[in-house]
Formats: sequence, C-alpha cells, structure tokens
Amino acid sequence: MNVAKLLEQRRQQWTELEMLCGQLEVRGRTSRRTPGSISRFATLYRSACADLALANAYQLPPATIAFLHRLVGRAHNQLYRSTSQGVSSWVDMVLHQSPKAIFNDICVRIAALVFFGLFTLSMILASNESLFPGYAERVLGGQQISSMEDSFEQPLSASTEHYIMMSGFYIQHNTSIGLQCFAWGILLVPCLIITSFNAVVLGASFGYMAREGSIGGDNFFQFVTAHGPFELTAIALSAGAGLRLGVGLFATGGLRRTDSLQKNAIRALPIIAAAVVLFVLAAFTEGFISPSPLPYPLKAGWAIFSSGLMMFYFVVLGFPRGGPDAT
Amino acid sequence: MPQTAPLDTTTEVVTPENIGFKHLLAGPFRRLPAYLLDFAISTGGFLLVVFFIIVVGGFLGITLGNTIFPAFAAAGMLVTYFAISWFYGVYFETYFNGRTPGKWAMGLRVISADGHPIHGKQALLRNLLRVADLGPGTTLAALDADNPVFAVLPISTGVIGLTVMLCSRRLQRLGDLAAGTIVVIDERNWALPVARVDDERVPALASFIPADYRVSASMAKALAGYTERRAFLAKGRRNEIAKHLAEPLIERFEFRPDIDPDLLLYAMYYRTFLADQQQEPVALGPLAGFSPLLKDIDAQLPLSPQQVPA
Repeated sequence: MNVAKLLEQRRQQWTELEMLCGQLEVRGRTSRRTPGSISRFATLYRSACADLALANAYQLPPATIAFLHRLVGRAHNQLYRSTSQGVSSWVDMVLHQSPKAIFNDICVRIAALVFFGLFTLSMILASNESLFPGYAERVLGGQQISSMEDSFEQPLSASTEHYIMMSGFYIQHNTSIGLQCFAWGILLVPCLIITSFNAVVLGASFGYMAREGSIGGDNFFQFVTAHGPFELTAIALSAGAGLRLGVGLFATGGLRRTDSLQKNAIRALPIIAAAVVLFVLAAFTEGFISPSPLPYPLKAGWAIFSSGLMMFYFVVLGFPRGGPDAT
Repeated sequence: MPQTAPLDTTTEVVTPENIGFKHLLAGPFRRLPAYLLDFAISTGGFLLVVFFIIVVGGFLGITLGNTIFPAFAAAGMLVTYFAISWFYGVYFETYFNGRTPGKWAMGLRVISADGHPIHGKQALLRNLLRVADLGPGTTLAALDADNPVFAVLPISTGVIGLTVMLCSRRLQRLGDLAAGTIVVIDERNWALPVARVDDERVPALASFIPADYRVSASMAKALAGYTERRAFLAKGRRNEIAKHLAEPLIERFEFRPDIDPDLLLYAMYYRTFLADQQQEPVALGPLAGFSPLLKDIDAQLPLSPQQVPA
C-alpha cells in the first residue's frame, strides 16, 4: 500500500467532509435535512480522525498531515458547537448565584468599604466648610460646582419625554462606567483608582450640596434620594467584581496563575451581572422618579423600599444554606 | 505541551474521539483586522438603527403631533448604542459558534483553551474585558493642543492586550486568559497538497535503489519535507541541502559519485511515497541502458543525469 493510492482512496471522503463542513458553517445544517446526512458527517469525521491517528503509521507526508489537522479541527468545530444558553440561565444566575456570590465574597466587602468609606469621608470633608475650607472647590473645581448649582436651582419638573430620554441615557452612561470599572479590575489598580475617584467626587458633591444655604441643595437631594441606593450599590458591586477578577492574578490559592484567574473570573460574573441589573433599575428610577415633582416622602419611601429590596436580595437570598448547591 | 514540542504557533486539542489534532493560533496581525472589521460593522449597524429610528420616530411624531415618539426614539438609540458597544461580540460568539462577522471574514474562531466550543459566559467575559485589553487610552492632544477634536477623541492604544498576547504561550489577551479561550485559524478550503512527480528520470533512478533498503520514519519525514519545499529553492541551493543526505546514500547504494543529489532525494521520495511496491518494470524510455551504479561507470558514456533530456 503506498501513499498515493491511500490518498486517492481517502481523498473522496475528505472532500465530502469538507463540503459538509462548508454547508454547516454557512447554514448551520447540511443541505439535505435528513438524519442520514448528519450521521454521514459524523462517520466521515470519525474516519478522518482515524486517518489522522494512523498518519504516522502510514508515513504520510507532513503537508498531508497538516491538511488532516485542519480538516479534523474544522469538522470538530462543527460537530461540537457552542451551546446557546437561553435567557433562563441568566435569570437563574441573577436570582440564585449572584446573591450567594455577593454575600460570601470578601472582595465585595472590601470594595464596598473602600467606596462607601471614601464617599462618607469626602462628604464630611466637603460639608464642613469651616474646618476644611476649600476642599469641595478643590475636588470638584469651580466650573463643575457652578454648573451643578445651575442645574438644581429650579424646582424639579420635567415632561414625560424628558424622563424617557434620560432613562436611556442613564442606562447607557452609568452601566458603561460600571462595566469599565469591572474590566479594569483585572489590573486591579485602575479599578481601585476609578472607584476611589468616583467615591471622592460623588462624596464631595453630596457634601457641598448638604451645606447650610447652598444653592439648589434641597432640589439636589430631592433628585438623588430615590435612585441613590441602587446606583451607589451598583458602583460598589462592579468594583467588587473587578477586585475579585484582579485578586485572582496574585492570590492564586495554589493554582496556576491563569487557572486562578479563570476561576475568579467565573466567580466575578454573577456579581457584575447583579450590578448591571441594579444599574438598569437605578437608571429607570433616575429617569422617571428622581426628576419628577413628586413629594419628597414618596421619593424617600422609594429609596427605603429599594434598600429593603436589596437587603432581602443580598441577605435572604444570599444567606449560605445547606443543600445540593450549598456554597 | 511537552517541552520537546517545536516552538510554533499551534496548540493541541484532544477530541472525545481521543485524537490529538493541532490548531493554528491566530496572532495580533490577523485579529486586529477582524476587530476593525467588527468595529466597522457594529458602527454601521448602529447607524442603520439610528436612521430607522429617526425616520419612524420622526414620522410618527409629525403625523400624530406627539413628542413622545421622538423621546422613545432617543432613548432607544442610547440603549441600542449601549447594547451594541458591549454585547455585539457576546451575541455573535455565543450564537454563531465562536465567530463574529469580522472573525468569519478573517477565518478565525474563538474556542475554549481545551478545544471545546465557547459558551455564553466565556463570550461575555472576554468581550467585557476588551476594554482593559485596548487600553491604555489616550488622546491626540499632544499633537495639537488647540484642536478641540484631538483633545477629546479617545484613542485606544491596545498596548496592554498586545503585551499580554506576546507574553502568553497561546497568544491570549487578558480577556482570553480570564475566560479560558483561544483564537484559532479555522479556514475554509485547505487544498490537499498533491504529490506528483513529473520528472521521468525520477522513476528510472528509483528503480536502481536496492529493494531491501527500508526508509525509516524520520527519513521519510525529512524526504517529504524536502520534496514539498524543493520547488521554492534554486538549483544550487537544492543540491547544497540535498548533498548532506545524498552523499552517504550514494556511497551505500554504490552509485556513481556524480549523481545529482537533488534528484536522488526526489527519487527516494518517489520510491517511499508514490511508487508501487510490486516490482513492475519501469518504462525507462530514452533512458534505457543507462545505469547510475558505480560498477557501470566505465561501461558506458559518462552521462550524468543532468544531461539527460527530460
């Protein structure tokens, strides 16, 4: 048996396999929608595998072996296709995995501590003009302060069109910031910088507006109260997910560095998914409730309700318990 | 991968059929055009959606005299922009078997590092982390500080992703490392190399190689490697390369020393891979009566194979 004859015999099947691969790649199925053509594909694939396995025994030329590697790889990618997990698995992730992951994750606690700690500190520094003169002006800059004062000088009122449009804007803008914070978490330092920067700037704005007799202060708190809980928690969560990602690079726990990174990335995914959901909820709140002229108790009530909802989500759904999926 | 594996941009995948096959890894110069293509397609898609929304929303707004449709249109545009900029790659890689349109055009495919198809979570991770890979961002303000466009237009340098890709063994960027994926070349239509010998001196010379000579596996590999590449080499270079193997063979087969080394290796290749093992007489044609053997060197004209008309 020489190679030329062998190749001549096998070439027909290889060509057929290539043709079927082409059809599967273009249309996701074979041209004849019969079970027979699918099993034919599997048969051809297996025999190509067998040819590759025996290639060295047959002493095939290297170029032919290279061809077989491509052919088997191509058929393999068609036979074992990506499984499209439906929407239900994402819902399951947000409702079941996320609270548990958040409840148990030390990185989320650290991120929350960093974010809310710096936020509170910056707020105290900015609100106390007599003890820390010029802090808010230095952090925010005069231009930003005056534009903030301008926008909150008038009592809140806007049209429905404005609400709808701003919801869209907040979904796009704020969620993007959260996702960027998460992505930079893999390098750890940029994530910490972004989080701290946001905490300090937000805290300074809150503190400045909380001063006695500040222009537009009342309207400012009318605006931020309703969506504050969702939004601030979402920022802290995305920072926590980013930290979880980056910590995997050096706290490997005995794994190889890339394996540890992968493991931590999978752990971070439910956290960032929850953060995205919170960002979207915050965006709708910020779009519809916050700028509306609703009475303040109603907005505060919404803030309390949303905080309670998150408490339920994090603590009740996330509390570690026994059972098959105990964490 | 064992340390003895050759330094190459391939990765081995073991299938459920217990076959190890090699995938070609895709480097940055193949992935960048795919990314740019994807960027162009997603931007174009977004502009199409915007156009559609403006036409429909504006039309409804004018005919109904209502401003709520333009507001919905604007919100829809922003949400679409958000969805496309973050989830374009996730969608295509999940539902089209690891391929975005750009990757499809460049013959690339994302698969798990262990050869399995990519699943939704991996696609999500590697696409979210692209932000970090494309960084650090900068602007062109250094070129012209007064140009307002240069000052705000964000430019992604991609230095982080490029560096990580060069340092990782399987050309993975940060997103790939975190998701455990690799990008491989999955091309259509790889032509099966056809081994055909059109030099009629070759079968003639091959028939003189002793029948009891067995070609070892490594020798067969070397012969095939040489023959597949000899078409790209000049005559002098071929002889220079072939000499090292041909000289001991000439001695062993007791051939005349002026046999063309290139031709001898070609004949060995022919005998190993192409010739029928059943000893059927070779039609020598115009070469009848010629012998390359050393003992026949005085029996006939000193005719070296190069001078034989092909």
